[in-house]
Amino acid sequence: MKTKNKKPFLNMDERNKQVAFKVITIMYFLTIIAMQGIVIYRQFALGQNLSDFEDIAIIMTINSIFLISALLYFGALSIRKLKVKNILLIYLAFIILGSLFTYAKYNIFQNPGLSFEQLFDKLKIITAIIGLLMGFWILLSILGKKRIDKEIE
Amino acid sequence: MENIKIKLARVEKGLSQQDLADLVGATRQTIGLIEKGKYNPSLNLCIKIAKSLDRTLNDLFWYEDKK
Repeated sequence: MKTKNKKPFLNMDERNKQVAFKVITIMYFLTIIAMQGIVIYRQFALGQNLSDFEDIAIIMTINSIFLISALLYFGALSIRKLKVKNILLIYLAFIILGSLFTYAKYNIFQNPGLSFEQLFDKLKIITAIIGLLMGFWILLSILGKKRIDKEIE
Repeated sequence: MENIKIKLARVEKGLSQQDLADLVGATRQTIGLIEKGKYNPSLNLCIKIAKSLDRTLNDLFWYEDKK
């Protein structure tokens, strides 16, 4: 019952793969944290314009959205275990975080800052975008659960 | 916890770590670490090891808790 690896060049067994996955995961998170640090430093410490680091910000945003989506779809995270109250709390937390960043960006690090009405307009956009994202993630979570249930059947 | 049972079964069969590794499609290091109890193999790999050594999973991987 000889079951040699069909790809001798890679020659990775399950332990090798496990170690590789761990290393890749750690390196991925370090990269993301470093990129986040760069964005915050450029935005708030150097006061650079968004267009100067827009590429990094877009990569970071898409990367984070895809990461959470994949974790939900493939069953690593299960928001179905969360109660509606907790989902609403997460939604609220995201809005507060987004609002704080927006406030810091426009009214602390920029002079003159935005008026209350302008800030309120931004808050409406933040609420809508986060709402859409949360809806998308909930949908993916449900689809992921269905996929796994189908596999079990 | 060191798994002496695998080592004994392997030696009884006259296999080296490399031979067993080749049989189950793993690396010698993985077999070494399993024998040392420093790596928990998947159930699939456990079954392959047990079959290669003509033993059952119980023979190789089951242990009673010391009281």
